[in-house]
Amino acid sequence: MENYVIEMLNITKEFPGIIANDNITLKLRRGEIHALLGENGAGKSTLMSVLFGMYRPEKGEIRKNGEVVNIGNPNDANDLGIGMVHQHFQLVEIFTILENIILGVEPNKYGFIEKQEARKKVIELSEKYGLKVDPDAYIEDITVGMQQRVEILKMLYRENEILIFDEPTAVLTPQEIKELLQIMRGFANEGKSILFITHKLNEIMEVADRCTVLRKGKYIGTVDVKDTTKEELSKMMVGRDISFHVQKDEGKSGDVILSVKNLTVPSKTHKNNAVRNVSFDIRAGEIVCLAGIDGNGQTEMVNAITGLERSSFGTICLKGEDITRAPIRKRSMEGMSHIPEDRHKHGLVLNYKLEENLVLQRYWQPEFQNKGFIKFKKVREYAESLIDKFDIRSGQGPLTPARSMSGGNQQKAIIAREIDKEHELLVAVQPTRGLDVGAIEYVHKQLVESRDSGKAVFLVSLELDEVINVPDRILVIYEGEIVGELDPKKTTPEELGLYMSGAKRDMIKEINDAG
Amino acid sequence: MNTIYYLIQNMLPVAISLLLVALGGMFSETGGIINIALEGIMLFGAYFAALFVYFVQDSGLNPQTILLLGMVVAAIAGLVYSLLLAFAAINMKADQVITGTSLNMMIPAAILLFSKMFFFSDGITTKINFYIRKVPILGDIPVIGNMFFQRTYLTVVIGFAILIIVTLVFYKTKFGLRLRACGEHPHAADSVGINVQRMRYAGTMISGVLGGIGGFFYSVGIMDGNVNGHTGVAGFGFLALAVMIFGQWRPGRILLGALFFAFLRTLAYSVSLIPFLYNLGINQTYYRMMPYLATMVVLAFTSKKSRAPKAEGIPYDKSSR
Amino acid sequence: MQDNNGIDKKNRFNFKSITKSGGFTSLSSALMAIFLGLVFGFFVMLFASPPNALAGLRYIIFGGFNRIGNVFYFATPILMTGLSVGFAFKMGLFNIGASGQYTMGLFFALYAGFMWDLPPGIHWFAAILAGMVGGMLWGIIPGLFKAFLNVNEVITSIMFNYIGMYLVDMMIQGSSIMYTADKTRTKYLPQSAQIPSLGIPNSNVNLGIIFAIIIGIFLYIVLEKTIFGYELKATGYNKHAAEYAGMKGKTNIILTMLIAGGLSGLGGAFFMLSPSGIVGSSMTYEPINIIAANGFTGIAVALLGSSHPIGTIFSAVFISHIQRGGTLASLVGYKPEIIDLVIAVIIYFSAFAMIMNTALGKIVESRLGEKEAKEIEINDDVKEAE
Repeated sequence: MENYVIEMLNITKEFPGIIANDNITLKLRRGEIHALLGENGAGKSTLMSVLFGMYRPEKGEIRKNGEVVNIGNPNDANDLGIGMVHQHFQLVEIFTILENIILGVEPNKYGFIEKQEARKKVIELSEKYGLKVDPDAYIEDITVGMQQRVEILKMLYRENEILIFDEPTAVLTPQEIKELLQIMRGFANEGKSILFITHKLNEIMEVADRCTVLRKGKYIGTVDVKDTTKEELSKMMVGRDISFHVQKDEGKSGDVILSVKNLTVPSKTHKNNAVRNVSFDIRAGEIVCLAGIDGNGQTEMVNAITGLERSSFGTICLKGEDITRAPIRKRSMEGMSHIPEDRHKHGLVLNYKLEENLVLQRYWQPEFQNKGFIKFKKVREYAESLIDKFDIRSGQGPLTPARSMSGGNQQKAIIAREIDKEHELLVAVQPTRGLDVGAIEYVHKQLVESRDSGKAVFLVSLELDEVINVPDRILVIYEGEIVGELDPKKTTPEELGLYMSGAKRDMIKEINDAG
Repeated sequence: MNTIYYLIQNMLPVAISLLLVALGGMFSETGGIINIALEGIMLFGAYFAALFVYFVQDSGLNPQTILLLGMVVAAIAGLVYSLLLAFAAINMKADQVITGTSLNMMIPAAILLFSKMFFFSDGITTKINFYIRKVPILGDIPVIGNMFFQRTYLTVVIGFAILIIVTLVFYKTKFGLRLRACGEHPHAADSVGINVQRMRYAGTMISGVLGGIGGFFYSVGIMDGNVNGHTGVAGFGFLALAVMIFGQWRPGRILLGALFFAFLRTLAYSVSLIPFLYNLGINQTYYRMMPYLATMVVLAFTSKKSRAPKAEGIPYDKSSR
Repeated sequence: MQDNNGIDKKNRFNFKSITKSGGFTSLSSALMAIFLGLVFGFFVMLFASPPNALAGLRYIIFGGFNRIGNVFYFATPILMTGLSVGFAFKMGLFNIGASGQYTMGLFFALYAGFMWDLPPGIHWFAAILAGMVGGMLWGIIPGLFKAFLNVNEVITSIMFNYIGMYLVDMMIQGSSIMYTADKTRTKYLPQSAQIPSLGIPNSNVNLGIIFAIIIGIFLYIVLEKTIFGYELKATGYNKHAAEYAGMKGKTNIILTMLIAGGLSGLGGAFFMLSPSGIVGSSMTYEPINIIAANGFTGIAVALLGSSHPIGTIFSAVFISHIQRGGTLASLVGYKPEIIDLVIAVIIYFSAFAMIMNTALGKIVESRLGEKEAKEIEINDDVKEAE
């Protein structure tokens, strides 16, 4: 009989309406890095939350070293030596690094915290594992990479032996990813057991010993990484061969539609500018992608272009007209469409019906209103035509509350609204985030069609596959500056990674200066 | 000089009441629960304490002992009443502002109802005198003795003691750290095994205790120990919230805010004693509006960069992350 | 087979649309809150004076029926404050300042009633409009603070409740034309400034209630049929999306508070300008430094009516009804404050009755939902097979 440190047997976890985990079994060996692979929504995070005591499964049992254990809350998990780096960091921004590390396990005397003792231990750990941090710095002042170190230190401080990493590389630069994978390898060599949740095949091939694959809440299989290939894993993950290539012809670019000059946007979270002196043009009939690691100024730049935020310097012109200070409505009327990054926050009024959401950008136009009164019949007809044209699926057609629609169909509704609206420029920010493969293909197709009909498309993306396959031109942003302009047909992911991590910025500058 | 002593002596009991209630609000809100019910909690605490005083005032107990016991009664009453808010906000995930408003409305009505039925008046009138003319020895210290230890109440000393304890608990204990985490990032607290609901209950209950005591101290320091259903605590619960916002949810700055507002109020009610102000001939009502107007001015300047606990007012839901 | 499916679906949607429709949940949650409030009131009475509790409850529930005219008469001001609070709620604003706006409207109406010399047919109407302006003035302040200075409207409203109350009381006491010091109340308004009575015997009910109901219906049309209502509700549901869609958030906040203030101000005017039972007399106001209760009652009215203007009309009448019953309960020894208590309890429960309802609804829905999901999947499979 094999010796497993953790066994999750026949786990079933249901949420109202969906079965997130359906009879899943996962066995973790001591000292191995075990990857958990699956698409968005495959049930990886739910399974790990079960192991970490945040959800209780309806069926199944968990064993540690062969004995059945009951994990009712994160404390139980901690007592069993299970620690987790969450996908969204669980750090209190106004606390210091030290306070965050000790939160929940504070060394104390009569309830009073003994900080010196804790500080000593944290410094020891950070030196031992090369996780350099300043224990008294505040979380809100440190970089994302540093925050992740804090999360790792939290586990080490608790002397956890089983470490869960939930998509830890999503927010890191390629160089930081490399470091992290080495650190994980080091933990495994030390005898710690690691569960590594990801959907990036390269990372699995590089670091994992075994890999368990989930699909739509179901267990697909567990394989030894050394006996498999990326293609095979990919097939297990999506259930069919995916075409990584987006079908599109050569673009025919026309007049300049969007012209950004010397744009500077202050940051809301730190004192520096989030966008620094950025200039670029986008022409009709081309897709330009702004690539970069999350948090390098993309959001602020898009907000300045779409009018959600004010820039401090520079100009933005749409079809030659200065819109730097124009209100949002004016930009919309001048031909700007915007697929927002956060479809729940900005894109939809979830309590409104689908039809009401479909006219969110147009309700004031003469077509839909007469002297301030809404023409409900026209709204209904229009909604039905969009639902038909863009294949938006929902329970009750135009009357479906937006809240009750699936994420993919919500996104389709937004895309339908923004593309059908009269526009010259389409700003699409992470339009495929959180969507399944089918929906992603659909979105890409719509972007390309929009381009082919002579629109300018400004795509902001964090996904390398998307960055390389969809656009005609790539602009790379790093720390608020455009550090490179690349031709997607000629570049490689490795080269992109170098730009995105800032490693190639200086060379570009020199070339520019020389030219 | 005597006018200044007079103002300080009169200001301190007012400031202490505001201070304690604002600190209560701070505990509740740093735990994540907006406590707009402080006004009602104050009145509830004050009423029960006054009821207690009413029944023991003829027992011959030392007035200061009665005050201490009354304080305990007020604390318990405030705690019990705050549970109604905690239950609605934490268990039922109700809108905290609406719940608080209803709790504020409930108490004056209840006091009027019961006082009219059982005391044939709008409230409770007590006849005990908690006033301290001069503290032995300490009262003889020049200047400081005049300011803090003459014509005062025991409440002032207790108030400052509570401030020190509260500050220590807030910053130095694991309870304080955990509570603040719950108001700022409850998911993070949950992920390290802190029971968010229990902490929020604790924060709200502490605000009940401090609110109840603050209410009793209000009635002692400002109403001569009486409680009235009509005038209640004259919006002190709301002013305390303003003090808390002014203090940016930090004990030290809350003390400053409480002193500032108490000073304005004392000034407003002492116009006739200050020749300069009296000679201006401005209607006294304008002075009465001062604390409320000052609140608005202060908030207008501080709200843009407010550091309110990020998760306040949002019911904690494990699954929405 | 497909036809069958279609019929099946339709049936289920009908059932779902009943349980899901806003009206159903808000009505049932309002009823639940009322029931709990009355039960609480009964226990309070039982505690205060056991033998009379049943009689007291009977008065509260049924007493109002004997005074229908007065029920509508007293419903008028709280209907207006209820509409005011509810209207602001739709925008996501909590107008706890209805009291101050109401007091301001009351004062402006009073001032116009005494100080303006206008012909009889016009005077009272002009005074009503003056009241509306007064309310608007006090309503726009929290709107401005919120829009330009990011100050929470709740705190501003509360502070201006006090400021307004002190200001009005001072100005009334300072005027010998409006105020009679020995009776510590305002004088009777001239006949020309009084709103014409509807002439129902033993009741002061007047044109005010008709106006109030018309305003309620008007608000319903504004909210449901116009682009202003569309923007207002969108902002209330999701202000980020409203901004994204180019709606003018600040303007709408100010406009909403202006309207809400005007509605409360009208409430004050309708109250102040009402004729009283004795011939030639009118309603009076006592400036005794107390925040107007009708503003807070408006919160209860709005909550019970789910902020829906038509629902608010019914809830105002209901609250007024039990208030009348409450005064009758004094016949068996209970003080009318019992009703304020019951109203507060109703607000308390209606703040989370909605949650209980949605929870209930979700259980029903999730059962239906699963079935539906499966069926859609099957349908999709069929499509793919085709």
